[in-house]
Amino acid sequence: MAKTRCGRILGEDIYIEEGDTTTLYFINQLRAYQVVLVALKALDQDICHDGCSLPSTVNKVIKRLGKLKNDLEASDVAAEKKESLLSKIDSFLADVSRLPQDISQTCRKSAGECVMGSGCFATGALNLIKEITEPKALKI
Amino acid sequence: MQTEVLENQIRGLSIVLGALQAATGEICKSCLNLEGAKIKVGKMVKKLGMDLDTASICCEKTKADLQARIDSFSKAAEELEVAEECECQKTAGNCKLGAECFVTAAVDLMKLVQ
Repeated sequence: MAKTRCGRILGEDIYIEEGDTTTLYFINQLRAYQVVLVALKALDQDICHDGCSLPSTVNKVIKRLGKLKNDLEASDVAAEKKESLLSKIDSFLADVSRLPQDISQTCRKSAGECVMGSGCFATGALNLIKEITEPKALKI
Repeated sequence: MQTEVLENQIRGLSIVLGALQAATGEICKSCLNLEGAKIKVGKMVKKLGMDLDTASICCEKTKADLQARIDSFSKAAEELEVAEECECQKTAGNCKLGAECFVTAAVDLMKLVQ
């Protein structure tokens, strides 16, 4: 079956067989997390480092990546591809685990430091995941 | 323009540039949308520099610090690696994430700054 390129994750071009939507689902999720993680790292250099929205977002990402890992393990993705994608999830998990996770800190808006309006960069960065609309979430 | 407004714009651009840098390591590197985003962000940075020039900031150090950050953004925007020949990766059949686009959404993070 013909293989097509459908992404580049951690410097590696990723190919799938036409119509393999299960593998494509995991690849698309990882494509998004790759961008989200860099955005969160940039936020960590901002006042968000001392707030609660960034840690809350980081915790969500850790949880979601953990679920993605479990779903991938339980999926029928080909063994070699599965290993490769699992190692990428582990790499993302290691990366995100280095970011702040203490949600007991005060929101920088409440502290009067974040004066950008009602929006929040941490939430906005996480919402980049919503850009993935295909394939639909797997029922595992 | 107030210092606060400029600082908020700078905070936003820092995240947008981070996200776009991540996209350059992706298939987006050969995508028209990233090429367009690079131009758009370059213009945002340029406008921010002009706004800083006309801003009434008394403290020279604050102004110099803001200018230094804008200069670093200008360099980062210029250095975003985009392929010589770009085409939309959805049209090329490589990007299969649906109708939306990471790169456009990343630039739209600036809309969070009110």
